[in-house]
Amino acid sequence: MRWLRGAKLTTSVNKLVQGIGVADMAVQSDVVDDAGPYDRARALSAFKLGDVTFYWITRLSAISVLLILGGIIISLIIGAFPAMKEFGISFLWTQRWAPSADPPVLGALGPIYGTLVTSFIAMLIAIPVGLGIAIFLTELCPQWLRRPIGMAIELLAGIPSIIYGMWGFFVLGPFLANSFQPFMIKVFDGVPVLGSIFAGPPSYLSLFNAALILAIMVLPFITSISVDVFKTVPPVLKEAAYGVGCTTWEVVRSVVIPYTRVGVIGGIMLALGRALGETMAVTFIIGNSFRISGSIFAPGTTISAAIASEFAESDGLHQSGLILLGLLLFVLTFFVLAAARLMLMRLEKKAGN
Amino acid sequence: MSDLSVSMSAAGGLPQAPVLPEAPAKVTVRNLNFYYGEHHALKNINLALGTNRVTAFIGPSGCGKSTLLRIFNRMYDLYPGQRVTGQLMLDQTNILDPKLDLNLLRARVGMVFQKPTPFPMTIYENIAFGIRLYEKISKSEMDDRVEKALRGGALWNEVKDKLNASGLSLSGGQQQRLCIARTVAVRPEVILFDEPCSALDPISTAKVEELIQELSENYTIAIVTHNMQQAARVSDKTAFMYLGELIEFDDTSKIFTSPTDRRTQDYITGRFG
Repeated sequence: MRWLRGAKLTTSVNKLVQGIGVADMAVQSDVVDDAGPYDRARALSAFKLGDVTFYWITRLSAISVLLILGGIIISLIIGAFPAMKEFGISFLWTQRWAPSADPPVLGALGPIYGTLVTSFIAMLIAIPVGLGIAIFLTELCPQWLRRPIGMAIELLAGIPSIIYGMWGFFVLGPFLANSFQPFMIKVFDGVPVLGSIFAGPPSYLSLFNAALILAIMVLPFITSISVDVFKTVPPVLKEAAYGVGCTTWEVVRSVVIPYTRVGVIGGIMLALGRALGETMAVTFIIGNSFRISGSIFAPGTTISAAIASEFAESDGLHQSGLILLGLLLFVLTFFVLAAARLMLMRLEKKAGN
Repeated sequence: MSDLSVSMSAAGGLPQAPVLPEAPAKVTVRNLNFYYGEHHALKNINLALGTNRVTAFIGPSGCGKSTLLRIFNRMYDLYPGQRVTGQLMLDQTNILDPKLDLNLLRARVGMVFQKPTPFPMTIYENIAFGIRLYEKISKSEMDDRVEKALRGGALWNEVKDKLNASGLSLSGGQQQRLCIARTVAVRPEVILFDEPCSALDPISTAKVEELIQELSENYTIAIVTHNMQQAARVSDKTAFMYLGELIEFDDTSKIFTSPTDRRTQDYITGRFG
């Protein structure tokens, strides 16, 4: 039975081969050659149908992005409308958040402040460290250490944010409150400005803790994108810089980073986008206090943390206020990214392109 | 025999530089061996680069010309797994000394690459950058130095009105001359050219060759080239390398008219390579 099937297969293969042979001969004969252009046109029209389909599939995919974005913006505006009507523009600079007062008072200043401050501190920590890792990995690291560090970075990116939240709550928060915070408070005690930024009392839940967790979370973005773009620097360009006598630091500063700055800034913006919107880990460790304090060791809240912690038990105007907060975050992110783009354009102009 | 006569007429048709007297050695290579990991890339090289002379390195691809050049400024040091044995002296300095300050060495031994490599900055900065690594000078002094270097690179007249344009906005030939100017600006003693014209059009090539001739008045020059006419035009001495060995090293006119080794003769007459 088995050999029989084998034999069948052989015959069909033979037929196929013969078929090809005939086709070859047909192409060579003059008669078919005359009909050639017509056949070719038919074959092409079959492709054309495929082409048109392909064009529409890709086009619809692209358009769907616009539809989804537009839909989200519209539903946010509709949901936020009652709160906008009630509180008006003063929503932006009212600090008080009292949804159960009569009448309820809602103000976004606390969450906006918290979002900006935590993201700013997070970037302040993550950019130098992330770039440092990237530079070390691409320029200085011995070959055998490259893979372990590279993999550690990728794993860091893969940890779910809830785990960062728990770790921050149970481990990092207590650690900071018992060691780092008292130290900073003591060092800057009595120093103007800095003294009020690092003011006590130490707290498990604070803006600073949230910012530190955010920094750890966005680090892999900055590092992995920077590593990728650093690798695109042509070796000969680096050699040329070494050739005029640059040290590694000078090569990195004057050649590698200028050459790759668009990519690096792109990575930083991606990280900033994540830091602005990160919810779960921050909700765990920021303390969810709407009061603004000058000290970064005091509890606070961010826009996304406020929404996450209150949305489930909200209704009516309160819910509308939270949706308005969401809309604000959307606008905030948009402006930050637009500013980054602008900065990039100015940088390019300065470099003489 | 007929091949040899062809080569003679080919070389004879070129403007031959007069044979200069022997120059004192600037760079001395003794028993040099080089390894890419296990691969033995250079075998027992012995030669000397004469002070203020142009030495050309020719040979088929992969014969080790560029490798040798990259040892002169320790560029190979950037890559792990590459090592060298033997002796290599720049005047009284041992280039292979592991404790040598590489940045200072590379200031003394400049390099121009196959592809133009302007840094991602303005034309002015491309030159000033290298100078600033070694000297702290005022703005007006720097302007002078940049102008001098660009004149040295035969580029000044073309770029003097757009010093603040990006170095990348220049044409390929101009970029290469910018790289030469940049190399000259740090006042090296030796300049290494690694196939400097292979990405250039004939007119730019002629300009660069002319420039190399001028530079040889003040600098010791080593040039790797695939273009034998170029070697004949610009160099005083020529080294023919094959499969990691130095086959023949002699006055350029001698190499191109009456080479002693059969392989040199085959190569310059185009039998292989």
